[in-house]
Amino acid sequence: MSRPSDLVQGTLDLLLLKILALEPLNGWAISQRLKQVSGEVLQVSDGSLYPALHKLEQGGWISAEWKASENNRRAKFYSLTRLGRRQLEHETANWSRLSSAISHVLKLKEA
Amino acid sequence: MRLEHWLYAAPLRLRSLFRRQQVERELDEELRGHLEHLIQQNLTAGMPPEQARAAAMRQMDGLEQRKEECRDARGVNFFEHFAQDIRYGARVLRKNPGFTLTAVLALALGIGANSAIFSVVYGVLVRPLPFPDAERLAMVYVHFSPQNSERGNMSIADFLDWKAQNRSFEEPALFAVAGAAQLRRFDLTGVDEPEEVRGTSVTTGFFPALRAQPLLGRLFLPGEDAAGSERKVVLGESLWRRRFGSRPDIVGQGIVLNGMRFTIIGVLPASFQFARLPDAEVWTNLLLNPPTHRGPYFYNGIGRLKPGVTLEQAQAETNAIGGSIERANSSWYSHLTMPVIPLREALVGKVRPALLVLFGAVVFVLLIAAVNVANLLLSRANVREREIAVRAALGAGRGRLVRQLLTESTLLALLGGGLGLLLAYAGIQLLRAWNPGNLPRVGDIQLDSHVALFTLLISLASGILFGLAPAMHSSRGLIGSLNEGGRSGTAGTARRRVHAALMVSEVALSLVLLIGAGLLLRSFDLLQKVNAGFSADPQKVLALDITLSGPKYADGKAQVAFFDRLIEQARALPGVESAALSDSLPPSEAGDSDTFVIDGQAWTQAGFPSTDNAILGPGYFRAMEIPLLRGRDFADSDTAGSPPVAIISASLARRYFPHEDPIGHRLKQSDPSLHGSPFMEIVGVVGDVKYDGLDDHSEMAYYTPYRQNFARNLYLVVRSGLPAASLSGTLRQQVRDLDPDVVVSQPSTLEQVMSDSVAQPRFRTALLGLFAAIALVLAAIGIYGVIAYAVAQRTHEIGIRMALGARRMDVLRLVTIRGLQLTLAGLAIGMAAAMALTRLLKSLLFGVRPSDPLTFLGMATLLCTVALLACAEPARRAMRVDPMVALRYE
Repeated sequence: MSRPSDLVQGTLDLLLLKILALEPLNGWAISQRLKQVSGEVLQVSDGSLYPALHKLEQGGWISAEWKASENNRRAKFYSLTRLGRRQLEHETANWSRLSSAISHVLKLKEA
Repeated sequence: MRLEHWLYAAPLRLRSLFRRQQVERELDEELRGHLEHLIQQNLTAGMPPEQARAAAMRQMDGLEQRKEECRDARGVNFFEHFAQDIRYGARVLRKNPGFTLTAVLALALGIGANSAIFSVVYGVLVRPLPFPDAERLAMVYVHFSPQNSERGNMSIADFLDWKAQNRSFEEPALFAVAGAAQLRRFDLTGVDEPEEVRGTSVTTGFFPALRAQPLLGRLFLPGEDAAGSERKVVLGESLWRRRFGSRPDIVGQGIVLNGMRFTIIGVLPASFQFARLPDAEVWTNLLLNPPTHRGPYFYNGIGRLKPGVTLEQAQAETNAIGGSIERANSSWYSHLTMPVIPLREALVGKVRPALLVLFGAVVFVLLIAAVNVANLLLSRANVREREIAVRAALGAGRGRLVRQLLTESTLLALLGGGLGLLLAYAGIQLLRAWNPGNLPRVGDIQLDSHVALFTLLISLASGILFGLAPAMHSSRGLIGSLNEGGRSGTAGTARRRVHAALMVSEVALSLVLLIGAGLLLRSFDLLQKVNAGFSADPQKVLALDITLSGPKYADGKAQVAFFDRLIEQARALPGVESAALSDSLPPSEAGDSDTFVIDGQAWTQAGFPSTDNAILGPGYFRAMEIPLLRGRDFADSDTAGSPPVAIISASLARRYFPHEDPIGHRLKQSDPSLHGSPFMEIVGVVGDVKYDGLDDHSEMAYYTPYRQNFARNLYLVVRSGLPAASLSGTLRQQVRDLDPDVVVSQPSTLEQVMSDSVAQPRFRTALLGLFAAIALVLAAIGIYGVIAYAVAQRTHEIGIRMALGARRMDVLRLVTIRGLQLTLAGLAIGMAAAMALTRLLKSLLFGVRPSDPLTFLGMATLLCTVALLACAEPARRAMRVDPMVALRYE
């Protein structure tokens, strides 16, 4: 099992949900968007994207549909489900709480 | 949340499972699409094609692994592995047909026996009775001294008292069950062919209590059981279809039963089955004529508890009623209670012990079969040790290996279960055809979904049971097996220990079964050796049940005249050695039973218990070869006009005339309060005869001649050297020639009668014997397997011993002593278990104690002998071990 080791567990899921919340995309477009939005900070290999997508689909958070892509090739497009939207809100809130708590801790001055 | 999740996930899972190829194609297409994008990107960046492709593959970080991860994410792999395990397991089983066949057969025997007996237990003991709220129904009996039957029949007088004081039951009801045969048998005459049909008479509360509904017409209305009511009858659907052509206009018409006219008021559907009287086809209204005395005891009470009333409350009430009846009739009753027994218990309570014992026995058979298969699997685990070690080395987890092995054993068990179900089906057909000795509710025994589910469950359970030990064992201690070249010392020892434990338990289980079967066999043997009191060859004695019906036989003179003519003709037949008439037949056809008085002796209820009282004609004792000890037989001169006479049995003579000759004393039927019946002079004493079953101890009886009695129903008893079939045809023809309206039952030889009387003990003995025999064979195979395995394992060691000078006898001792030790350990455990368990058999035994030492020792010896025989072949092989060959393998 190769997990993107430099990503906090569960962060990839959150990112994917967020990206798909904006618009339905296929796998290739998602990978491009990931690179684009996170710069080179988040290293996600192209391969590990798909198991994560399939797991989200299996969980009912995103659903998939085969459609023609921009260059008229058949591609699998993922979009957020109602369940996924709720999950995204939930996870976003969690993340904000966690990150503010952590940055709070990190900002403590050494006595 | 969870539910919503499944709403999305379930269709996907199903799709992954059932449209695997499409899902697989889509996965491939999706990833390939991504790969092509990457390649395109790399080409655009100026890479040469080869390099662009290689770089893209690298970026994907392993295409196939990613696919596998996607499959994992879809949760498909669990099923995928399961399917793999099954395919692999099936292949393994196919490749070892000998092993598979042995294991499947052993399991099929065990499971089949279980399913068959379960279907009997379920159908008879568990399946709900076919009445609404059947658990609210109860039978009510009377129990008093000296008639010490726990479930004694009731009289009309008792019933009237009960009904008058009852508050616990909805309308109490009464129905006829016994006594004079004509109460249960109805001769249907006045139709084209007279026929004897079964039925009963019931009070008006009977059908409402059972919530019965008519198919046609109506059932009895309140008041139709009042004294002097018109006679009415309800027909069973089968009789209505058979004899009345399903005519709907039958209601309101009349039929003649036992010579009396009845009006048909309705038809009961075939679905109405009252298991106490399974063959009843006519139901007449029981007329509650005011009784002149407490008897006769021909009836059972039945009632439905009112809502909110418990069985205990009802029981307390009926006992109180019993107390008041006793006080009002203190010269007649003492210790009177009225037991209330739930209907189901009343119907099947008697067979429950035997059925539960049989069920226990088949569980033992299955355990033995499972132990056997566990042994087989364990022995084979040795062969597969390398394979399993290789798989473990290649990364298979322990859980995965155990699962694989368990899948194999479960597969075996399911195969065994499937075959077992077929065996059970055949077994059930056999059982139903056999209909062993009036087993109640035999029609409710069937192979239904309950039995199928039970079979599936025990198959799975036994698959896991016998698979788990070898599987756990094989997956442990693997590390040594690869580097040691296959013969790992420690694993071998541990395995031998498991083998030994399995063999010991197998011997112990078999011994318990053998002892149980042995006890029943001894009982049955003793029962059959019981002297029924006659010496005639039972094959040579034929009995025909003859019933006179119709108004022309309402008069005693007409009955006697018919029987006189019949016996005269029968005696005149060539080949007939002796012929006579009797209403009783040994060993269990008692005619009537009543109390009696001896002139000159003080009568007490306790001093003169109810005694068999047979009506018969001259020559009966000679025909049956019952010894005449004193005095004379009845003679043709003992007629209605001559002084009444009686003959008594030796037991009765011993009890009431210990010091004097009974001849010339006088005896009277019933108690002193019954003034009508005359005293009869005792003219003879005959040997004791059993009339209430071979296991009954009371042999007191008195006999009266039919010419001085009222008898419409007698057996024609004929002893001859002629073949039964031709003689019975001749005799039936004779009866028809005399009067075509007389009903003759199917004739049977005394041998058949004797055999029928022990049908139930024979049934359970035969079944338990069969199960014990299966157990013995399985145990023998198991012991053989263990010893043969041990010899194979120790070939090397034996070779060394022989090379060092051990003689063949030493080797023989080595092998057999091991077998003997294990057998003896098993026997000791089995003996202890049998001691504890055979007590459960007590109610089924006759003349043998549950701890009968002869049976215990005999069966232990038998099992020990079989065990030694099973060791013989492996021992012979061990003795032939060539030290050179054995050592060369080193």
